[in-house]
Amino acid sequence: MKRPVLKAATVVAVAALGLAACSGGEADTSGAGVDDDTPVTIDFTWWGNDDRAERYNEALELFSEQYPNITVNGTFAAFPDYWTQRSTEAAGRNLPDVMQFDLSYLREFNQSGQLLDLQELLDDGTIDTSGFDPTLLEAGVLDGKTIGIPTSTNTLGMFYNPELLEQTGTEFPDAETYTFDEYNDFIADVAAAGEQTADGYGIYGAGDYTGTFWFFIQWLLQNGVTPFEEDGTLGFEEADVVEFLNLTADLREAGATYPVERGVALKPLGGFTANESASEMSWDNFLAGYVADSGTETIEITQIPSVEPGEKALFLKPSMLYSIGANTEAAAASATLVNFLLTDPEVGRIFGTSKGVPADADQRAAVETEEGSVDAKVIAYEEAVAEQVTETTPIPVKGFGTIEAKWLELGENLGYGTITPEQFAEEWFAEADLAIM
Amino acid sequence: MRRRRAAETRAGYAFLSPWLVGFFLLTAGPMLASLYLAFTNYNLFNAPEWVGLDNFVRLFQDPNYIQAWKVTGTYVLLGTPLKLISALAVAMLLNNSRRGQGFYRSAFYAPSLIGASVSIAIVWKAMFIDNGIVDQVGQVLGLPAGGWVGDPSRTMPMLVLLTVWQFGAPMVIFLAGLKQVPTELYEAASVDGAGPVRKFVKITLPMLSPVLFFNLLLETIHAFQIFASAFIISSGTGGPARSTLFYTLYLYFRGFRDFQMGYASAMAWILVLVVGAISFVLFRTQNRWVHYSGEGK
Amino acid sequence: MSPTMTPADAPTVTDRPHVPSEADSLALRRRHVAASRVRSVVFHTVSLAVVAVILYPAVWMGVSTLKPSAEIIGSVSLIPTNPSFDNFVTAFEGIAGVSFWTFFLNSLLLAVGSVVGITISCSVSAYAFARIEFPGRNVFFALMIGTLLLPFHVVIIPQYIVFNQLGLVGTYVPLLIGKFLASEAFFVFLMVQFMRNLPRELDEAARIDGAGHVRIFGSIMLPLMKPALVTSSIFAFIWSWNDFFGPLIYLSSPSTFPLPLALRLFVDQTTTSDYGAQMAMAVLALLPVLLFFLVFQRYLVEGVATQGLKG
Repeated sequence: MKRPVLKAATVVAVAALGLAACSGGEADTSGAGVDDDTPVTIDFTWWGNDDRAERYNEALELFSEQYPNITVNGTFAAFPDYWTQRSTEAAGRNLPDVMQFDLSYLREFNQSGQLLDLQELLDDGTIDTSGFDPTLLEAGVLDGKTIGIPTSTNTLGMFYNPELLEQTGTEFPDAETYTFDEYNDFIADVAAAGEQTADGYGIYGAGDYTGTFWFFIQWLLQNGVTPFEEDGTLGFEEADVVEFLNLTADLREAGATYPVERGVALKPLGGFTANESASEMSWDNFLAGYVADSGTETIEITQIPSVEPGEKALFLKPSMLYSIGANTEAAAASATLVNFLLTDPEVGRIFGTSKGVPADADQRAAVETEEGSVDAKVIAYEEAVAEQVTETTPIPVKGFGTIEAKWLELGENLGYGTITPEQFAEEWFAEADLAIM
Repeated sequence: MRRRRAAETRAGYAFLSPWLVGFFLLTAGPMLASLYLAFTNYNLFNAPEWVGLDNFVRLFQDPNYIQAWKVTGTYVLLGTPLKLISALAVAMLLNNSRRGQGFYRSAFYAPSLIGASVSIAIVWKAMFIDNGIVDQVGQVLGLPAGGWVGDPSRTMPMLVLLTVWQFGAPMVIFLAGLKQVPTELYEAASVDGAGPVRKFVKITLPMLSPVLFFNLLLETIHAFQIFASAFIISSGTGGPARSTLFYTLYLYFRGFRDFQMGYASAMAWILVLVVGAISFVLFRTQNRWVHYSGEGK
Repeated sequence: MSPTMTPADAPTVTDRPHVPSEADSLALRRRHVAASRVRSVVFHTVSLAVVAVILYPAVWMGVSTLKPSAEIIGSVSLIPTNPSFDNFVTAFEGIAGVSFWTFFLNSLLLAVGSVVGITISCSVSAYAFARIEFPGRNVFFALMIGTLLLPFHVVIIPQYIVFNQLGLVGTYVPLLIGKFLASEAFFVFLMVQFMRNLPRELDEAARIDGAGHVRIFGSIMLPLMKPALVTSSIFAFIWSWNDFFGPLIYLSSPSTFPLPLALRLFVDQTTTSDYGAQMAMAVLALLPVLLFFLVFQRYLVEGVATQGLKG
């Protein structure tokens, strides 16, 4: 729908005539086509890497075969850039028609009325959610409006690399009962083994997991703390942050966690995907990416550690949602695309579990679950921990993106030893105060 | 006659109109707007909210802002002199009538054209990474093993080297300046028994001072604006451990990632004042050390 | 700067004349020839050594494109063991369905647009500064010089806000409009300086013949300004080609990206660190600049020497 080339050409022409006026921002118009034959063009955008882009391109090709009158302009960006772009577009009331959305940003965009209420399109059957778990659908409902529909679910899991365990002669703790302390012991053991990769880099047990905000949230839940209150404020204080960061204080001091300088140099890979770190906690749908990036087929997924043995306090997070911009002029066509991406079995096969376990039953059934395959492992994991999923999904506060990024940045500084856990907590809250207000 | 002058005025403004429109719409107007924004909170969504000096107070309590000044200041104070010294040294080397001079001049100039590009930042990163060629050569020379990219104490030297590598542009300007120095001055000094050092201090530097002033001013302002190299080498983070959190990077993060437009505008205006003050001081002190020859400039 | 370097010091050296004797001169010349040869060897040795150090990164980059990814990082060598063009094949495939040539054409469009905009708007404005007398000229000229030193960050935020409200973020308008409005003071300044050095008699003669400013500009100034226009065009092209910040804030859709953004996408967004393909793409992105450099190096270096243009 955007034609920069044409616009640029207009400017060339205008300016060549010595006129100063810019061509102005004519709205990108597209027919609000409800009937099947009117050609419609819609913008669709997602975040992710090249692998996801290829999957989407494949899915969109299928879509254009089935709906030749709807042209979809698909674009993508990396996660941080993605939200920068959406914020600008929102400010200019120029959001794309269909967007992949993250739970963390839903509240922020809803507050300013940027997202279309999908209820009507659900009622008239354009979007068919009969194959969805109703409790999951609630994640996309805010202030009585359905502004997003989950594509799939994920939950936190622990990944480990059996080949590195074998090389270092270590054993992973008991998945059902191990605590954070036992996990720390495991990390220390791997480092103590003193093994090296073929390139001469040391092998470690894990990176410093306190540097990721979501793990802190999970840890809070295990401690019975509600991270985000109903009114959009934080349910924890600086002391909680310091306590969590100090879980790995001894490991950091002993240099037993994966060295942060090596991690920085490896970006966008990490120690785990470079096969230099034996384990990593993350969202369970990361398995496909881990296997692809590391080239290690044998990576296993197991349960995360807990504060009290066996009490994991997991929650199922809608890993991604689809939303429609309130400014769309092609709501019906947009909803058609959303429905196709959410429920078409072939699309389910294309994505597998790379976005999480599909929310729609038909798509889930279409995922090829060959014994030992990545998709089979992820689905098996979510089934295995189903009973441990005892918490409702924490709906992040406004400004979540900023405070999550700040946590990561401070985590890196903590790793380099340039700040203390107390400074970390103080700086993080200073940023959170601004972001949330 | 008056009619003629009026016609001239009309023609003048007509010809100047592209620049005039550009100046008011794209420079003067936005400058005033950002001056206003600097005293507000503005996130693109809600109307700007007047907060007085809050942004400025917050800035000087913000550890990242202080860090951004440290990083930028170090870079300017380290990179600019080293670059100019290298440029002058090579210009002196090339300042003769031997053959091949044109080739050398072009070869040394080439990095200045491409040095600030994303391509070169990628190459630089690949050269300085763990086990990369710089690491390997460094180990032979007795430096501790390890890449420079992940080591907060070595990212600054890495970027300073990148800017020194681009010494070609000021070198070409120095060379042009050196050609203007009358050779009789050196010959006369030789006869007087002046050694190379004395000749350099007594003749070259004073004669070259206008060019030196020009280079110093431009390179300093240029150094404040480093962006792409630091952005690419730190994967868009200003890391590791904020060691490449240049002023421009932090301004970009605040303005275009967090959409704190008021905060970022306050940053921009402080930068303008600092760069303005530096330019002012350089201009004011130039008559103490810059020597313009009789022809005037 | 030491206080001894006062301007007064320099000329004093010329005050004493020296008259060498004949015998002096002959011996001196012989010694001079021998010394000159030695000095020449030293000169070339030192210069070539500096050239080697300076060009090493560029050559290493070029050679790396022919090596498999795994061999690049640790290899100081400039000779690939098994040269292959696989990296270029990967690079030409582009990123996630957007072909390399799309990025290339986007870069080209922006660069050509910049060149057209800058040559037109800056030459017209420069003519007003250099050749027309009108009230306010000197004030505006001073303001124009002032913008040369102004950090552009101070205007970028309000500009962005306005372009966003006009719905122009994501298009090339914000990236090009300044070029058509002579906002790049460097080029205006360069052209003013050049025009001021052109003989006044030419346009005075034309004026007597009754020519107006439009004709004088079009048929006398423009043809004479060719060297300045060529220099400006080359620099405008290269600067636009290398520009990263502008596209970074204004463009969001990969299919509109110019090469620097595409490169960044390629480096940060493809999780497999394919150094070979990265290098190949980086080299391809630099190629037009290098070609320009090879063809126009005289213009470029002279432009820098006489006008103080930066690279």
